[in-house]
Amino acid sequence: MGRSRTLILGSLGCFLLLEAMLVAAILFWPQFLDNMGMVRTFAKPIPVLSGMLDEIDTGGVFAYIAGQHFFKGCSTLGTAAAALFAAGAVAGEANRGTLEILLARPQSRARILAERYLAGLVAFALPVLLSSATIPALAAHVGESVSYRASLLGAVHETIFLAVIYGLAFLISTRASHPISVALGVIFTSVFCFAIYMVKGLSSYSPFRLADIPEFVEIQHAGRLDPSLTASMLAVVALLYLAAHLSFRKRLP
Amino acid sequence: MRPAVAVRGLTRSFGGHIAVHPTDLELAPGTLTGLLGPNGAGKSTLMRMMIGLVPPDAGSCTVAGAELRGDGTAVRRRVTYAPGELALYGELTARRHMAWFQRGRGRDALARGLELLRRLGLPLDRRVGAFSHGMKRLLLVAAALAPDVPVRILDEPTEGLDPSRRGEVLDLLRGEVARGTTILLSSHHLGEVEEGCDRVLFLREGALVDTDAADAARRRVRRALRLRFAGEPSPADLEEVFGNLAKVRVEGSLVHLLLPSEDPRPVLERIANAPTLPMPTSVRFGELSLTDLYGEIYGTEAV
Repeated sequence: MGRSRTLILGSLGCFLLLEAMLVAAILFWPQFLDNMGMVRTFAKPIPVLSGMLDEIDTGGVFAYIAGQHFFKGCSTLGTAAAALFAAGAVAGEANRGTLEILLARPQSRARILAERYLAGLVAFALPVLLSSATIPALAAHVGESVSYRASLLGAVHETIFLAVIYGLAFLISTRASHPISVALGVIFTSVFCFAIYMVKGLSSYSPFRLADIPEFVEIQHAGRLDPSLTASMLAVVALLYLAAHLSFRKRLP
Repeated sequence: MRPAVAVRGLTRSFGGHIAVHPTDLELAPGTLTGLLGPNGAGKSTLMRMMIGLVPPDAGSCTVAGAELRGDGTAVRRRVTYAPGELALYGELTARRHMAWFQRGRGRDALARGLELLRRLGLPLDRRVGAFSHGMKRLLLVAAALAPDVPVRILDEPTEGLDPSRRGEVLDLLRGEVARGTTILLSSHHLGEVEEGCDRVLFLREGALVDTDAADAARRRVRRALRLRFAGEPSPADLEEVFGNLAKVRVEGSLVHLLLPSEDPRPVLERIANAPTLPMPTSVRFGELSLTDLYGEIYGTEAV
């Protein structure tokens, strides 16, 4: 199956990239600490960046890793992966004309949709979870200690955040016939939201506020996910899936 | 006997356009029914509605005892469908594609599907993307014929096939019908429908042509005489020979006559005895050609 291969290769590629970025970031941590003063000078014109450095100053290595891995790595690469994996789910089949033979099989549309949804979800969630699981070992390599619990809770939070973006792209895919347009639309919107985050005063209006350094540091300190935020994001995920289900029920081949 | 397929008032519009008007249709078990109609007549939409691919605006459909409800999964368990579009997963081999088609249909269906592919001479381990148009069509037909289901709906199953392949497919379909399977197929090959189907349905602008109209058209066709001459005959000669005996329409060297009865002998005698009219190079009379019927019903020129 073309989609299965795409998802497996895409997931593997995403993991390798995330892991490479994570290894580089953690190995750079000692130099980063040594050069904090110089980094602050460079970041001074951008208040949001300065704020992040403040967070790292107080939050330590976990805040640094949260910024490098979750906020930068997963939220950018993961968003792209989530958008691409979701876009092909239905729009990809429509685009190549195979939606009709897919729907003609003796399976309910609900099952077809669920299989496709879960396959894409796993494809972007696994790289995030697996790469995050290597954080404690990598941190130990530079003489720092990060708990598995904090790493995995961070990864789960990031995955739920990405699931919202994935759900949105998936919903659009059930109504569209051009997967590239769907993926690019979601990616460009995400880039726009990311850009908003970097503007002082507008950060709180960006969805990326939900997956920034303070959020992960808070999760580390609490030792658990933020119940209300997690429940809200899961509710949005569920609503988006329900909307996709309703849309797919009426989908013409 | 309970019909294998019973359609009651099935209808569907797209925007303001009615693609299929309320349609009633019954297919008896173990019959091969041909659905004819020009492009855009609503054949594919009707077929898609019958298996739940296109939700109908109104009406009901029962296939082999399963009523069309929700997304039609219950119906699709009892029916196979070969779409008219030739869109396949080009990266899969024919063997893997057949396995994909038969997922949820059981091992026997896969075994039969592979056997059909071998019988039709398709290379099992070649990627479908490298298949010709006709080979892809055969793969779709084989996939639809593989499972043991009581009803099969085939949208143009012989489109793009050469005459010998077309014959092979029709033989397969006739074999299925002999085993008691009910088949509904659409086609543009009027001859094959005329030859192979137990019953022919005509769809025009989203509505089935009623049986009486179709029968009237058939009767008219039975009185049709066609003469082809080496050159274009003169209107005066035609008038002199046929006079009020037949309605005459001339297309170059081809003369269409609509006789008053199904007995052509008086007209043929006149032709034979007419001193000025050249002898025709070919004479066709009263063949129940669906091509003629098609022209009668759809108002297109008979070929």
